[in-house]
Amino acid sequence: MKNMGVSKKIKINWGTVINYFLLTILVVICFYPFLNVVAYSFSSNRAVLSGTVTFFPIEMQLDAYKEIVHRGQIWTAMRVTMLVTLLGTAIGLILTVFAAYALSKDKLKGRRWISGMILFTMYFNGGIIPTFLVIKNLGMYDQLTSLYIPSAVNVFNFIVMRTFFREIPKSLEEAAYLDGATDVQILFKIVLPLSMPIIATIGLFYAVYYWNDYFNALIYIQSPEKYTLQLRLRSLLFAGELGAAGNEGLAQQVMAESLKMACIVVGTVPILAVYPWLQKYFVKGVMLGSVKG
Amino acid sequence: MKWAKQRQAGYRSRHSGSKNIWFYIWRDKWLYLMLAPVITYYIVFKYVPMYGLVIAFKDYNVFKGITGSKWVGFLNFKQVFQTDLFWQSIKNTLILNLSTLAVNFPLTILVALMLNEVKYPLFRRVSQSFLYLPHFMSWVVVAGIATNLFAQTDGSVNQMIKHLGFNAIPFLNSSGWWVFTYVICNVWKEIGWGTIIYLAAITGIDESLYEAAYIDGAGKVQRILYITLPMIRSVIIVMLILSISKMMSIGLDAPLLLGNTKVINVSEVISTYIYRLGIVKAEYSLSTVIGLFQSAVNIFILILADRFAKMIGEEGIL
Repeated sequence: MKNMGVSKKIKINWGTVINYFLLTILVVICFYPFLNVVAYSFSSNRAVLSGTVTFFPIEMQLDAYKEIVHRGQIWTAMRVTMLVTLLGTAIGLILTVFAAYALSKDKLKGRRWISGMILFTMYFNGGIIPTFLVIKNLGMYDQLTSLYIPSAVNVFNFIVMRTFFREIPKSLEEAAYLDGATDVQILFKIVLPLSMPIIATIGLFYAVYYWNDYFNALIYIQSPEKYTLQLRLRSLLFAGELGAAGNEGLAQQVMAESLKMACIVVGTVPILAVYPWLQKYFVKGVMLGSVKG
Repeated sequence: MKWAKQRQAGYRSRHSGSKNIWFYIWRDKWLYLMLAPVITYYIVFKYVPMYGLVIAFKDYNVFKGITGSKWVGFLNFKQVFQTDLFWQSIKNTLILNLSTLAVNFPLTILVALMLNEVKYPLFRRVSQSFLYLPHFMSWVVVAGIATNLFAQTDGSVNQMIKHLGFNAIPFLNSSGWWVFTYVICNVWKEIGWGTIIYLAAITGIDESLYEAAYIDGAGKVQRILYITLPMIRSVIIVMLILSISKMMSIGLDAPLLLGNTKVINVSEVISTYIYRLGIVKAEYSLSTVIGLFQSAVNIFILILADRFAKMIGEEGIL
């Protein structure tokens, strides 16, 4: 008896071991590039130059971050992006909730037509140039409104939200109807309190979209003081703006290297700090979106 | 009760046809009011641009506007179709999309299956968090990291390769290697995110199937091959069809940010071509032709893919 117990304990399932091992490697591959950037941003000039920085900072210092604080450009861009993200997420959520709630009602006349009109844009649209011309004619070119108004409602998010609303038991709403509640009261008093997970998920999707959006800013924004964070990052990382400032010597150039890395960290951390806490919700959100609309 | 009666009355009268449309509009006024801004948004920013597509058939002049510009029939189409760069950009779009799909699609399913075998909740949750991480990074950041890693002289990857005694690889500067780098970056960014949908499908499989197979002596690999994969077959097919129907669409960010003048012969795709021609050079009519052509092909592939799905007994996507 004793022997059997022991042999059971010792028995190693190699398939399982290999599986865990491979997944661990995959996790490292996914995380390492970012960790490396963080390590570089905190390392001293000498360490950056020697190219030996891997997982952890070498000769830790904060010069790169101090430099960011001194350079107004990055803060300006950060403020623009925060504003656009905040407004875009708020407007997107409000419009998506309204559309999804109204069109989740079976009693609504013409709901098929209106849903169809929304879904159709997923498969066919005017494309980059005609949209650009409309924005220009509306006087939104080089205005921040061009960043959060033209992409206010996302069809995928609308589908996810509508599917969620449809799954809320009808009996709850019907009881409220009997008490004489209007559709607006039902939305705010019954449906929304039950929908916080999906609101958080869709809010995250919109916020990530606006925070990371590069395309719209590239096309619609011209004045440097209206540059978004991604646009500013791009010019710092690729166009060699930092190099121009660091012609005086090698130390300056190395500085530029860790400064670039610090910029990446500053531009990424806000989103990375939020998403793990919402993981359980957005997984469900993606699943809801996969149910055909 | 009053409402229920009213609703019943509504249904009955709809069949008899006596209640007019205003009754319903008044009854659901709040819902229509909620829809008003959304409908306005879609008309202004999605349907008006669709009307704007007519400039593909016009010699668009900014000062004359869309209605004032002269009709030129298919002249713009002729000009676009005679441009080598146009066909090159289509070819590049297909190459980049197909090679990404060929690597990403099977790998995503494999990783989902691997994650599903993990029985420790903490390990599973934490590893998923890390796998989702790249999805939340912007292309600007990903391209910045990639240039840092893959640079020919001082990139970390090439330093390692040189350390092992091999020659440095021009990941970003030679056409062939650039496609490789592009695919790697795409797979890195989206592989974790892609597993969500498969994991969800796997969770829905009836546990008793596995128990029955276990009793019949099926091993882990056999259970995956004969139960898990067949049970998520329809999800796999739908995902494949969705990806294939997007073959002609490609984001502007990745090719534009990863590309450079040395690899422009493979990195110039439809979206970057439209951007350079339409926004940078202000050739509005010509670039609209390209956009319209792309949309038309997209619709065509979508319908074809949907037909195919229904033909093999799946639900389809339309």
